[in-house]
Amino acid sequence: MNLRLSLAILAGKFTAMVSRIHGHKGSSLPGMVARKIYPGALRDLAAQVSRGVLVVSGTNGKTTTTNMLTGILSEAGYRVSSNLEGANLITGVTTSLVRDAGIRGKLPCDYAVLEVDEASMPRVLREVKADVVIITNIFRDQLDRYWELDKTTGAIREGLGQQKQVTLILNADDPLAAQFQRITGFPAVFYGLGAGARATGDNAGSQAREGRFCPFCGDALIYDYFHYSQLGQYHCPGCDFDRPGPQVEAFEPQVEEGRVRCRLVFNGREAELILQVRGLYNLYNAVAAFSAGLHLGLDVPGMLESLGRYRPITGRMEEFNYKGKPAYLNLVKNPAGFNEGLAALCAGKGSKDVFIAINDNDADGRDISWLWDVDFEMLGRDHRPYNCFICCGLRGEEMAVRLKYAGVPIEKIIVDADVTRAIKSTLAGGAGSAYLFSTYTALWPIQRIIKTLALEGGAAR
Amino acid sequence: MIRVCHLYPDLLNLYGDRGNVIAFRQRCQWRDLPVYIHSSNLGERVDFSKYDFVFLGGGSDREQTLISADLMQHRDEFAAAIEGGLVVLAICGGYQLLGSHYLSPGGENIPGLGILDFYTKAGDQRLVGNVVVEMELNSSLCKVVGFENHSGATFLGDVRPLGKVLAGNGNNGRDGLEGVRYKNVFGSYLHGPLLPKNVRLTDHLIGLCLERRGLKNELKPLDDSLENRACEVMLSRLGLFKR
Repeated sequence: MNLRLSLAILAGKFTAMVSRIHGHKGSSLPGMVARKIYPGALRDLAAQVSRGVLVVSGTNGKTTTTNMLTGILSEAGYRVSSNLEGANLITGVTTSLVRDAGIRGKLPCDYAVLEVDEASMPRVLREVKADVVIITNIFRDQLDRYWELDKTTGAIREGLGQQKQVTLILNADDPLAAQFQRITGFPAVFYGLGAGARATGDNAGSQAREGRFCPFCGDALIYDYFHYSQLGQYHCPGCDFDRPGPQVEAFEPQVEEGRVRCRLVFNGREAELILQVRGLYNLYNAVAAFSAGLHLGLDVPGMLESLGRYRPITGRMEEFNYKGKPAYLNLVKNPAGFNEGLAALCAGKGSKDVFIAINDNDADGRDISWLWDVDFEMLGRDHRPYNCFICCGLRGEEMAVRLKYAGVPIEKIIVDADVTRAIKSTLAGGAGSAYLFSTYTALWPIQRIIKTLALEGGAAR
Repeated sequence: MIRVCHLYPDLLNLYGDRGNVIAFRQRCQWRDLPVYIHSSNLGERVDFSKYDFVFLGGGSDREQTLISADLMQHRDEFAAAIEGGLVVLAICGGYQLLGSHYLSPGGENIPGLGILDFYTKAGDQRLVGNVVVEMELNSSLCKVVGFENHSGATFLGDVRPLGKVLAGNGNNGRDGLEGVRYKNVFGSYLHGPLLPKNVRLTDHLIGLCLERRGLKNELKPLDDSLENRACEVMLSRLGLFKR
């Protein structure tokens, strides 16, 4: 028994308890405390995972993919340790393993599914030997933290460079994610969406294409089609880099009210996948989790069932009900994700009240100029379905300016700094449904307020 | 008709820079001023004499290298148009490109277009954060608000700065100056993007374009309450807002 490890685990668990008593989620601090006492805590605990460590990284869809994969593994009967709440720096990763470890320093788990922030990949992979690494996609995100896309891919490359042997699960449709197979030479399972997959119109993301240049020779990539942003069927005219043929591919996706279905083709087999979530991008997350499960040899019908039962987590088109009016809460943190959220908003039927909260704290990204890369113009082009746009948060005024220049009439734009009042007006607004968008640090307060209001609304009926 | 050329919109759009073009276009259209916007990409030959306003955004290092080589081929036409009163807004990387050279971290001297007298040196520290600059517009002072994120430090020669830094770093974090101004050229490190909420500057650029066309520089006033509030939020946070 390693005494320092035991002490670190004990201190971490105690910190978690105290945090919870004080109403915090305690998803990072316990790991930080444990690491202070014993810097080898993460390394020692991760080494005990009996069947395999799976790391999920990339810009969008990390938390959803991690949750889906954890669901699949748990429902297959395995003991899984995971940072499900999205605390994805090294402290958050450590916290999840400390939480599941015994005070004698033993971690009784078969799999660990770890969501890891792109910039933290070098640090985490220095301490953790991964068996599988999933890269969902790479978009521009919180630029004042990461600066440039090149830095993000550089961090992932550095992280992977510290591993001796690992299987990659890569999004074939994203040249920036797919490139890692060739860079590292590791074996990879590619997944993707087949031709004609775009079910919600191709206006979204037309301006937010980042990686259109070949990562190997710098030539402009040639696309046969785009799904959104730089995701699609591409090849390089200057060298032989092209979209790898996916081993797992989704065809004919249909976005119905509140769910997505598709035909899944893998290893010469076929199956129907039905998800109870909104948004085409969730299909990518499900196919990523499915591909990882397939690689581990899990039972296919069991995986499909588990994915079909999956319900969205906080702020991923999470559904609420206020006096019979549906309300959807969506986390936004970069142009690609916001554009997908707007596509879901446009696809929703009937009239809508819209709420947008923009904060510029460190965790949101202090620079909010990315809002100008989001295609709000699609709302300005036809604003009839929208009853009002209520802007809130530390930079609510700036959001209002963005909508005005996107062509939304100013009579429909309201700035209200009082979050509770702003949410109340949104939910009680005259439209048939409500869509709420929020950056990271405003998300949980907003979710609490909606829950309270929805409960009151229910009681009043 | 005001004619706008947006240079390399696909490559130079690192920090929502296209917002500048959106703001310029909307503020013309809200006043029923006809405006035409052309997007020019790599390899295209731009006839600068045909345009009133040229916009150049910022990009990552890789993209800037591509552009520098491309733009160098039209350097003389661009410089002549600027001498002739072409209105230009250049942000961040686009701004650096107008100078004489860039000294890389390894001491390498990378030539710029050499149209304006300034140079940029790779800094050891990244200058990131909200910025307020005080500049002069039609002989009255005006506060301009934005966000900077650059590691290059720019030093001006025989050219005017865009303005004085009231908060943030500006050109190099040392001399208290931000941006460059020469004839109708405005260069700046400010993202945000710059034009949507700094409407006095935007209208100033539109006015210069009208004069260049030989039209009267008379702009119908617009309701700018949202834009002004957005500026006031940042000015108050930085302790610079006085009623």
